[in-house]
Amino acid sequence: MSTPGKPLYRSDKLLYYALLPFAAVVIAAFILLFAVLGYVSAPAIKKYGVRLLTTSQWAPNEANPARSVYGLLAPLFGTLVSSTIAVLLALPVTISVVLVIEEYAPERWREIIGSIIEVMAGLPTIVYGLWGLEVLAPLLQKHIYSPLHQLLGFIPLFSCRPVTGFNLATAGVLLAIMILPYMVAVARDAYRAIPFTYKEAALAIGATRYEYAKIMLGLAKPGIVAAALLGFGRAAGETVAVALVVGNVPLVSGCLFKPAYTISSLIANQFSMAPLYPYMMSVLFTGGLILLAIGMAANTVAVIMIARARKRLG
Amino acid sequence: METNTARGDNEALTRLRGIGIVGEASLKMLLLILMGLVVLDIVIQGVCCIYAHRGAGASQAQQSPRVVLSGSGSTFIYPEMKVWITRFEKENPSISIIYNPTGSGTGQSQLLKEKVVDFACSDPPLSHEQYEKYKGQVLQMPVIIGAVAIVYKIPGYNGPLNLSAKVIAEIYLGKIKYWDDPEIARLNPGAKLPHAVIKVIHRSDASGTTEVFTFFLHKAAPSLWPASLVGKAIEWPVDSTGRGLGAKGNQGVAEYFKRLGSAIAYVELGYALENKFPIAAIRNAAGRFVKPSPETMQAAVASALRSGVLPDSPLADWSNALNAIVYAPGEKAYPIVSFSFMMTWARYPAPKAAALKKFIEYINTVGQSEIVEGYAPIPQGLREINLKALSIIKGG
Repeated sequence: MSTPGKPLYRSDKLLYYALLPFAAVVIAAFILLFAVLGYVSAPAIKKYGVRLLTTSQWAPNEANPARSVYGLLAPLFGTLVSSTIAVLLALPVTISVVLVIEEYAPERWREIIGSIIEVMAGLPTIVYGLWGLEVLAPLLQKHIYSPLHQLLGFIPLFSCRPVTGFNLATAGVLLAIMILPYMVAVARDAYRAIPFTYKEAALAIGATRYEYAKIMLGLAKPGIVAAALLGFGRAAGETVAVALVVGNVPLVSGCLFKPAYTISSLIANQFSMAPLYPYMMSVLFTGGLILLAIGMAANTVAVIMIARARKRLG
Repeated sequence: METNTARGDNEALTRLRGIGIVGEASLKMLLLILMGLVVLDIVIQGVCCIYAHRGAGASQAQQSPRVVLSGSGSTFIYPEMKVWITRFEKENPSISIIYNPTGSGTGQSQLLKEKVVDFACSDPPLSHEQYEKYKGQVLQMPVIIGAVAIVYKIPGYNGPLNLSAKVIAEIYLGKIKYWDDPEIARLNPGAKLPHAVIKVIHRSDASGTTEVFTFFLHKAAPSLWPASLVGKAIEWPVDSTGRGLGAKGNQGVAEYFKRLGSAIAYVELGYALENKFPIAAIRNAAGRFVKPSPETMQAAVASALRSGVLPDSPLADWSNALNAIVYAPGEKAYPIVSFSFMMTWARYPAPKAAALKKFIEYINTVGQSEIVEGYAPIPQGLREINLKALSIIKGG
């Protein structure tokens, strides 16, 4: 390996030029993705403008395509809310899991928990979806939502009667379970990256287990925040599983027990028939563009946080 | 890691030597022989491949040329199409047909715009504008009758249920909320219906099933269900009450329906039968309550055919066909029926035209007696109209 700035040897140069096209493919694919999304969504953005983001009507009109009305507000709302619920639920679990496997659990348990989480990460999303449909939604409706509504019905979030288990809350819970493995993986890496000297120092000054954990979590905080952001990005993009439990109804409501929509489930639902309606495809691509923007924003912030944490810890 | 594996290899070697199987010199020999075998194998395989290819080419040239027809579109017709294709290919081994259930919309655009398939199947016919655009070039043949079943699940009640367009419309508008609503009770004298909330399931994806269903509601109860609520994808008024649920595809609707204790939904008849869901009897134009069956479905189309509201050629404008068969007159007619259309061009290269004509002829003759459960064959009059395609489609 040559250090940057130093002239390359001939064989190094050859290797560099041989690898260059492959690296370029990745960048080209990304730019192309952006370009295509932008190009295809342009007609919808031109026609509907900001209304795409401020209304949630979804009324395609076949006889008179120009009079079709599309709004992405409800799906956008659903995506943001369900992903937020997911992160809020998964974050405390992530922190506990990381602490347990890194500090408390005996070696064997650590391995068992670790491999369970790896299996969870590898499961196809449709499996989560079917499980959510079959088990989670009815379970939550009966044992969580109904009591919550009866006891805490005065809080707007729980104010509506949970008619079915297929709603925004279920989507959030299912997403929390799905993003947990990723969040644990990222947070665990951050935790492990804390230099050993810090741990020694903390123990040397006689910190209790609780104080020690607090110090360590403080040091790993940027990594944990990054885990949350990456989890958010993943949750926002999740499609199949969410489409099965979210109820697929374009509603914007302050109550979590009402069915809702997410951008990705909207795309999954509408894509196959979209060619029949002149603007629908374009609107769906706009949804894709928004998803990409959300994902990129979350990832960028996460990457910056991780980099900053590395710098600080040296 | 690397040093580990290297050490492992060495260990294995030492062990082999220890057993006395491998000596220092014979090891090299062994390797040489192995490499020689590999090279020999590659050579033999290469030669074989070349010969095999030549052989295949020669034998193919001797047989009659194989024609491949590709189609895509309606998922609704797919189960029937599978049966037709399997039996047709058995009788005509030189023709092979591929059908890809991509959805009616995609099917239409793959046939007309992208021109990547030879035929398409679509539940809705070409819209009037589309028809004008392709007038004289595209043929449309209704090849099968489908029905939309209204399925219900009422806690503590297993009896039959009568419904009218008015009541169904009010349920989907969110106005009727409980099963013991006086309007439902009036249609079902004697039935003990409980005071249970009705959960209302509809399709979340754009769907021909939704179009047929909403079209029926509008035609039979226009004052309640306005024309603006007719289409493949509409804004469901019941959704704003929080009792509405959207699901993708008939399968998705069936999945939701199974898991709810008190619900109403509309699905293609085939799904209702397959899942053994209770099916409601619907009041038809003659005021009778009728359940969907091959007889009642065919009765609807036959009555439309008799009254002369259906076109009489594959080249005609079929965009109004739904209006003709939904809520059609006739005591036996089931009111929520639909067609699935086969669409083709009028001109093809000669071999393809011949193959396609054979397939169309098969579908409209023998094929009509091989109908899968949940569909109904088209009446004789309609078969004759479809068979006009044989003289319209030209090859070359």
